[in-house]
Amino acid sequence: MARDPERMKKGTKIIHGAFPRYAEYNCAMKYMAEHGFHNVKFIMPPALTKRTEELGARYSPDFVCTPFKTLLGSLIEALEAGADTLVMAHGYCRLGYYGELMEQILRDLGYEFDFINLSDYDTWKKRDWLKVLKRIDPKLNLPRLIQTARETIRMVEHLDDATSEYYQICGFDATGGGCQRAYRSFLAALYTADCGADIENAYKRVKQEFQRIPLNKPKRPLRVGILGEFYTVMDPFSNLNLEQKLAGMGVEVHRWMNLSNHLIHYGTVKNFEPKIRDLCEYTMGPTSTANIWYAKTCAEHGYDGLIHVKSANCTPEIDIMPVLQNISADYKIPTLYLTYDSQTSDVGLMTRLEAFYDMIETRKRALS
Amino acid sequence: MILTRGKRPEGLTVGIPRGLLYYRYDTLWSAFFKGLGVELVYSEPTSRKVLEEGAAAAVDETCLSVKIFMGHVRSLIGRCDYIFVPRVDTFGHFRDMCVRFQALYDQCRNLFRAAGQKFLTYNVDGEFGITEEMAFLELGQSLGFPTGEVKRAYAAAKKEEQRAWREKLRAQEPLFKASGTKILLSGHSYVLDDPYVGKPITDFLRSIDVTPIRADVVNRELALKKSVELSPTCKWEISRELLGGIALYRDQVDGIILVSAFPCGPDAMVNELLTRKLKGLPLLNLVLDAQSGAAGVETRLESFVDIIRLKKGAL
Repeated sequence: MARDPERMKKGTKIIHGAFPRYAEYNCAMKYMAEHGFHNVKFIMPPALTKRTEELGARYSPDFVCTPFKTLLGSLIEALEAGADTLVMAHGYCRLGYYGELMEQILRDLGYEFDFINLSDYDTWKKRDWLKVLKRIDPKLNLPRLIQTARETIRMVEHLDDATSEYYQICGFDATGGGCQRAYRSFLAALYTADCGADIENAYKRVKQEFQRIPLNKPKRPLRVGILGEFYTVMDPFSNLNLEQKLAGMGVEVHRWMNLSNHLIHYGTVKNFEPKIRDLCEYTMGPTSTANIWYAKTCAEHGYDGLIHVKSANCTPEIDIMPVLQNISADYKIPTLYLTYDSQTSDVGLMTRLEAFYDMIETRKRALS
Repeated sequence: MILTRGKRPEGLTVGIPRGLLYYRYDTLWSAFFKGLGVELVYSEPTSRKVLEEGAAAAVDETCLSVKIFMGHVRSLIGRCDYIFVPRVDTFGHFRDMCVRFQALYDQCRNLFRAAGQKFLTYNVDGEFGITEEMAFLELGQSLGFPTGEVKRAYAAAKKEEQRAWREKLRAQEPLFKASGTKILLSGHSYVLDDPYVGKPITDFLRSIDVTPIRADVVNRELALKKSVELSPTCKWEISRELLGGIALYRDQVDGIILVSAFPCGPDAMVNELLTRKLKGLPLLNLVLDAQSGAAGVETRLESFVDIIRLKKGAL
């Protein structure tokens, strides 16, 4: 906001808003907050670290799902960084109750802040979401907000597309790091984007660079599909950089589950439910239909393995495990089940991944 | 569910696992199926064996109550035409069930796929406007019963359920006037009523002259309204009934015990909120796991009751 001080109207209180760290999506939240509203300064919470997790775990109930602990830690760090308004998301599983409990915990800790809990606005009527926007900015400029929302959606789509491509190719990078450099500077450009053109240019640039980078890719590389719980599967800190680790072993890493596929383009996958009717008759949970469909699709397309990622105590993902086991048996596709909690260590994960890699690699050679 | 619409079934047997929603809907289910002339087969009451067999079949990380439920399902395999596993998603806005109940039917089908057992369900989903009545109608029709007969069976069963519920409410009223220590038990009915998990707690409390009062035995509509006072965004039907029960009864008891099965998702969060909000009333947060000995739990209950009595000057 400081970039353009005249945009701030006189007399309006400036909100120092924050949303907890969530993979690389905070760049989109920052863009939306600072460009869509005239009175918001986005406080970027520090990148997630062990400290974040320990802070969160210390004040959280024991057997809540791990993202709760990480997000709580991130909110505490945002408050430390000067945020005075926190936003918490709404969701179908326990996520819908995160906000209320987090607010209570933070207030008990003595923090003072304004809390925007999206669950408060869930009335099954879409227009009530407007009230949230009005609360943030009483002098809301709706056309500008809509324009910003469009650009933000583009940003999320580009981010997801580039991320998806990155993990498919970076394991075969012949330049020894060119791929990673391109991806990193793309992220940096998104975090500092100031207008729609910045976003488009950054995306064009990274796509061109990905095209230019020479790849040592075998004709039929090992392909692994990653699926799982909404937060842990996307957030590299929470899944201990699972995708980078796998790619580093020379695996083409695929993941459907991301923000744009699940929230924006969900309707574009035709007949989700009929396609998995043989496995489940009803929706089993918030992300279960997509995950079951994706596991089945990967299996049908001859992927070499599946990795199911979830945080400890994630109810919906635990419940689809019997279905995934049946897919694994039906299509003879090896599946690794990973459960992350705040104790999961890097070394332990590496050992399991190496063993999984050796197994699918040997299997591929034996079968081909 | 296999659709056999049009053919009226003869000599149909349906197996009812004694776990989870059985404790909430036993009257409704049995009256409905009896009204249609369906024979019911029940699993044995929960025992160590049921739990162990269930734990062996279920996903390791699932909650104790689901493990027990799977034990009941397993014991019914091959003993009936269908095993009855309802799917209840939500009753309406902010009236959800834990996601586990959305998945339960499909989870059973997948877990026990190799056994070749058929399962029967009904689907309540308020978000899509599917009420309990519609769900039962669909259930009866899918089995091949004529619509009128299903409607009558449901109406009669609902009446029976309401009568039984009123009786339960009436039976609890005099307890509030009992002398001595009164403790409010807050927990899901499938935990508190389970003969292996929750019953021993109630029995033990009675044995040390405590009157246990149930938070879930409450006027449900009133409880739903009251729950908002303690937790405005809680969206789980059963948790809201318990919250409402606590809000309504808290002034009439000497202490509260929150009983939950490890690691119950809604309880993990709601009970944390309650321990932070309910100040001034002795509170014990009891999480039950698959342990075999009762001594640990009994010691905790005893010391909790001692503290209450000490506080009242009755010790």
